[in-house]
Amino acid sequence: MLLRRFGITSTIFALFFIGQEAVVNQLSFPAGGFSIFLILTLLWAALSTPEVAATVGFGAGILLDLSPSTSGPLGHWTLILVLMSYAISFLSYGDENKRGNPLSLILIVTLSQVIVLASYLVTGFLLGITATSFAQTLTTIIGSAVWTMVVTPLLLPAVAWLHDLAFDSRMRI
Amino acid sequence: MRNGGENRGRLLLVILIVSSLFLITLDLRGVNVLDGLRSGTQTALSPFQRAGSVVLTPVKNFVNDVTQLGRTRNQIEDLRKQNQKLREQLISRKNQDGEIKQLKSILDLAGTARFKIVSAKVISQGSSLAFTRTITIDAGSGNGIKKNMTVIAGNGLVGVVKEVFSNSAIVMLATDPAFKVGVRIAGTQQIGILAGLGSSTANLQLLDNQTTIKVGDILLARGSINAQPFVPGVPVGRVTSVSNAAGAVTQSATVEYFVDFGGLGVVSVVVKAPKADPRDALTPVKPVPTPIPTVTVFVTPTPSASPLGN
Repeated sequence: MLLRRFGITSTIFALFFIGQEAVVNQLSFPAGGFSIFLILTLLWAALSTPEVAATVGFGAGILLDLSPSTSGPLGHWTLILVLMSYAISFLSYGDENKRGNPLSLILIVTLSQVIVLASYLVTGFLLGITATSFAQTLTTIIGSAVWTMVVTPLLLPAVAWLHDLAFDSRMRI
Repeated sequence: MRNGGENRGRLLLVILIVSSLFLITLDLRGVNVLDGLRSGTQTALSPFQRAGSVVLTPVKNFVNDVTQLGRTRNQIEDLRKQNQKLREQLISRKNQDGEIKQLKSILDLAGTARFKIVSAKVISQGSSLAFTRTITIDAGSGNGIKKNMTVIAGNGLVGVVKEVFSNSAIVMLATDPAFKVGVRIAGTQQIGILAGLGSSTANLQLLDNQTTIKVGDILLARGSINAQPFVPGVPVGRVTSVSNAAGAVTQSATVEYFVDFGGLGVVSVVVKAPKADPRDALTPVKPVPTPIPTVTVFVTPTPSASPLGN
């Protein structure tokens, strides 16, 4: 059972990662664009138990750290996604009003995306990665939040279905 | 039982956090295995990026056309005059023609400076969510590309090679906030440091308080020791505004890059620079406006107008 869940989850994340790198990153979206991989990770965390969310955050973080376009050290995304995935799941798990409501999930993912990017920037600054200008940073973060709010409703049914497939949770959004 | 489950969850969280910190420490200490992992990922992703580039080219062209509608209005008007068949052919070949044009201008530039170059296609643009400005090109160490080599386009400086893999490389664009290049004002010996701002403009800081700069001045790369990371003489940009702050020790200015970073299709990596500095040979020629002939028509009324129907 555990092996099946791991296999399905890994395949889904690998496919989304390739999709992000080979398709989404090719297109220049205004104001920073979006990351379907980040949206998947945050949605998956919101639908899972805290332990699963943290583990998934770890795996997703490793993949993002291995992305050639990442400038930070290996483990940077991993640390942030472990903490954020656990936090999302810890705060929403057991509350079906949040987990079962698409609007709540979209808001949770959008807010989490903003926090994740801000955390990445702040920790990056502490680790010595040169940051862009404040205006540019603000544009990217706000732009990605708007994009996430637009893209998440499109991905939500598919991600919820895939999550059901992997965990057989019988949850209906 | 519940407490036991919660404790297990917290223990797992602690283990994962410690693992992440461990990875960060290893990376910051420069452990080679981790570099190999990223290199392996890029090698594995390259075929997908190439395929994505091919599939998405029409979409990118469409988006590019829409965003540059104002600039290409005349071109669009010309295209409208052509018949449907020719237009379809033109659209299908537009990408190839654009790349050839870019390549030709690069070859002109490299030929004038006698640079030995390796040309490559842009197969991916780095995610701007990582707060960096990079592109991935389809040539790597197998093509003679090494880290810290200068990357140029037909109009001038694009950036510098940041990472090299076997069949691809990552280029840090001149727009990246971490990018800095020593520049010289064309036709003079005035030098300064140009820094990327994350947009199509950059900030120039002059090094000498005795020198002055004016709007329209052209900046060329000053060049590095052994021509790495920067070969000398490559056009960088044009000064668009000058700041004369009262308290500033030296002048600073805003510079617009010559290269359109949004439309990069083909770039070239300078693998060998000539021993002689090309000096101002690569300075772009200012376009001379074509004079529009004025047509004056003199109308002289006939002395005796004949009535209509005569």
